[in-house]
Amino acid sequence: MGFLSYAGRRAAHTAVTLILLLVFMFVLFRLIPGDPTTLLLGTGELTLEAQQRLRAQWGLDQSMLEQFVAYCRNLLSGELGLSFYYRRPVTEVIAPMLVNTLILMVPVVVFAIGAGIAIGTWLGWRRGERVEELGAVLVLIPRALPVFWTGIVFLSLFAYKLQWFPIGGIREAFFYPEAWYQFLPYYDVLRHLVLPIATGVLASMADPLMIMRTSLIEVRDEEFMVLARARGLTTRSLQRLARRSAFLPVLTYSAIMVGFAFGGQVLLEVVFTWPGMGRLMVNSVTQRDYPVAQAAFFLMAAVVVMLNLLVDLLYGWLDPRIRHE
Amino acid sequence: MYTSRGKDAVVDPDGYGEPSPELAASRRQVLAFLGAFGLTAPTASLIAAIDAGISRASAQAAAGQPVPRLSVYTPNWPDMVELWRQLSRDWAPLGIDLDVQQGTLDTFVSQIVAEQKLPHLGSMSWGGAPDRLDPDYFISEMFHSRRAIKGGLNFGLYKSETFDKAADAQRQAMDPAERQKLVRQAQELMVEDSPSLILYHRDIIHAYNKKRFKGVKPILGNGIGFPYMPLAYMDIEALIPRKVLRLTSIYDIASLNPFQTPEIYNSTTLRLIYATFVTRDEKAEVMPWALHSWNVVDKTTVDIVLRPNTKFHDGKPATVEDVKFTFDFILKHKFPAMGRITDAVESAEISGDNTVRLKLKQPSAPFVANVLGYAFLAPKHIWENTPANLATPADWPNDKPVGSGPWKLVEWRKGEYIQFAANKDFYMPPKLDGFIAAVVPQMESMVGMLERGDSDMLAWNLDMTLGARISQNPDLEVVRTPTHGQHEVRLNLTMPPCNNRAFRHALQHATDRKKILDIIFSGAGVVSRGAPITPALEAWTSPNIKGFEPSIDKAKAVLSSAGFTWNAQGKLVMPS
Repeated sequence: MGFLSYAGRRAAHTAVTLILLLVFMFVLFRLIPGDPTTLLLGTGELTLEAQQRLRAQWGLDQSMLEQFVAYCRNLLSGELGLSFYYRRPVTEVIAPMLVNTLILMVPVVVFAIGAGIAIGTWLGWRRGERVEELGAVLVLIPRALPVFWTGIVFLSLFAYKLQWFPIGGIREAFFYPEAWYQFLPYYDVLRHLVLPIATGVLASMADPLMIMRTSLIEVRDEEFMVLARARGLTTRSLQRLARRSAFLPVLTYSAIMVGFAFGGQVLLEVVFTWPGMGRLMVNSVTQRDYPVAQAAFFLMAAVVVMLNLLVDLLYGWLDPRIRHE
Repeated sequence: MYTSRGKDAVVDPDGYGEPSPELAASRRQVLAFLGAFGLTAPTASLIAAIDAGISRASAQAAAGQPVPRLSVYTPNWPDMVELWRQLSRDWAPLGIDLDVQQGTLDTFVSQIVAEQKLPHLGSMSWGGAPDRLDPDYFISEMFHSRRAIKGGLNFGLYKSETFDKAADAQRQAMDPAERQKLVRQAQELMVEDSPSLILYHRDIIHAYNKKRFKGVKPILGNGIGFPYMPLAYMDIEALIPRKVLRLTSIYDIASLNPFQTPEIYNSTTLRLIYATFVTRDEKAEVMPWALHSWNVVDKTTVDIVLRPNTKFHDGKPATVEDVKFTFDFILKHKFPAMGRITDAVESAEISGDNTVRLKLKQPSAPFVANVLGYAFLAPKHIWENTPANLATPADWPNDKPVGSGPWKLVEWRKGEYIQFAANKDFYMPPKLDGFIAAVVPQMESMVGMLERGDSDMLAWNLDMTLGARISQNPDLEVVRTPTHGQHEVRLNLTMPPCNNRAFRHALQHATDRKKILDIIFSGAGVVSRGAPITPALEAWTSPNIKGFEPSIDKAKAVLSSAGFTWNAQGKLVMPS
């Protein structure tokens, strides 16, 4: 019973958050000076009269409230509206970019969290040893380097000098397999993925890693660990036990990481010419493409909020110390 | 200072300086709040700075007082930033201080063009779009007082009745010799008034792989790789078995519907599929394209003759019905992107076997080049059947575009590439089998792809440093092409001291264009003599415009004779 009312309350909070987000996104982008027709006007490609017609056609001459009502009405009928820039439904604009982004970011997040947990446990367990001090510094270095810099270094080394990997893009416009291994399924996309994934993982694994390490250090000296050690468990079993309880803060952090993954990584995408959400979001803001910007940012925020809800609900099950009363 | 004339003259110099204080303050607060989240910080502080600069400046610059610090707004492109570094140094001996703000292009446009908030000075560059080859653009669009309105490109608020008359006259002069005279005269007037410091026409620098392809055709304003001029790709031939050229570009298109967007890159790319009625040849002269010929019957009547045996990409013959339909369709739907056609054309009637007679709304000298060079032949059988539930046919995705142009669309992957196949039925069939334009948002990646052989042509404007690096590769060739596009420093003519003609002339003399071009662009370009149209277009260039001799002494002499003085600190003082 306790859990159900807790879940209900959390779900209600989440719903309110999402609605506020929706309003915030709507207002936010309209506060930036200019509208979707301004850039065309300023570069002399649209006559003033034509701009007025266009603004009327796109409903931009209405007040913000009227526009918001129209937007909500569309939302209720399940439509996100038309992109001003592409003149296509927002879903059609976002879907392919989202797929591209997930192709890149899912492996990045999985590897980053996986490596973070493994290395974090390893380091945390060796608390105070030389190797731990050194390791903590080593993993923070790529975290501190700008991702575009690491990317450019990887590119100049592995793409220019050694020519092992392509310079960018998600696939070749024309790809003719020659050697046998090039006939493997997805070979072309996979070889385009290696460098951006490596760059992304290097940059993003430090956070889960350091959280894991800290959390493990705290758990290591808890009473249940002392008991387990007294029972004579092997180091491996002890580590597994510690990892299980130390993992919870990483899980919370993962929810945020996954959410941001939906927004892509714009620097990574520019350096590796990856056609994903990050570039779409930046472009949609520059072009004042409100519907696309709203939907993309909302998607990212909503995933964070929903995953947080999920993690909160899962906590009770994962961590027996937590009770819903 | 300037009187209102008619409804266009909405600029009120007195009410201009101070934006409504409550509005400005509340907007600034909101933006500052958002800035705390890193969302709009640069824009917010910039707008605040522009607002503050304008109100400060209008309060100062009284007679006999030192000239205030001049506020400058510039897009944050590296060459523009360097330009202002040079100008601050070069103008300092005149006792002038600059306060330079930089920001993104969209801030520039939304504040300075759309809101008319040019501080004392602003810098801008204008690319070599095809319609700017006609002198009307750089004369009327930029300096006619009619365009000194919010959103107009005369954002320096230059207003001169004599110039306006000359600009109007050249626009209506259908006789080429007469027009030439008027265009030259308008520019002479403009240079005399100096509402803008036109600096130079920077060359377009593209590169390609000469071991793999030959027959590139540099065209004024287009280089070898931009899609503005369809003739550029026509004679490219492969020296390798792959007869498909791969080029890289920073831009991508947004739509496959040619009625939807007026954006230059998008609209010219689609016009490779949809042949325009006329186009420009290597010498930038107008030549027929979808048309066989045209005939100017009188000042407001033009007969256009369709090229016989034209076929659309779906195999259906193109007829005079399609020509008439194209104009009727545009006039009926009043597509905003087709503004220059709806503004110019009154009606289109079939008047012969292969001929359509166009009635114009007013005499227009740029009509053939700019309207027939922008309008394209659209197949009636497709566009009369667009879904009825759309607000406008401009919203139709048109995923399988059917035109009559030299290239057929194979595939467009948004954000990745657009691929074309040659239309061998076109009257001038391309020598290639096709080409792919890949979207690469980063210059370094483009250069790397060209050097590695992943691409065959770099169709984006390089700087000379990268150009020099590329030309060391024996397979690659760097091609420099002049352009009619230009870089300028615009002055706000309602803000003292920029409203003083002698002051503007002094800045003209204090600006060493050749030196700046050498420093920023390694000299790759043509120095302007002050006129907005490049000397490369000789027909439009007046021999009477000699340019301003770059000399600080001369600049000082001009200022002195206009009553400017210098105070003990060496700062320039307004005439009393």
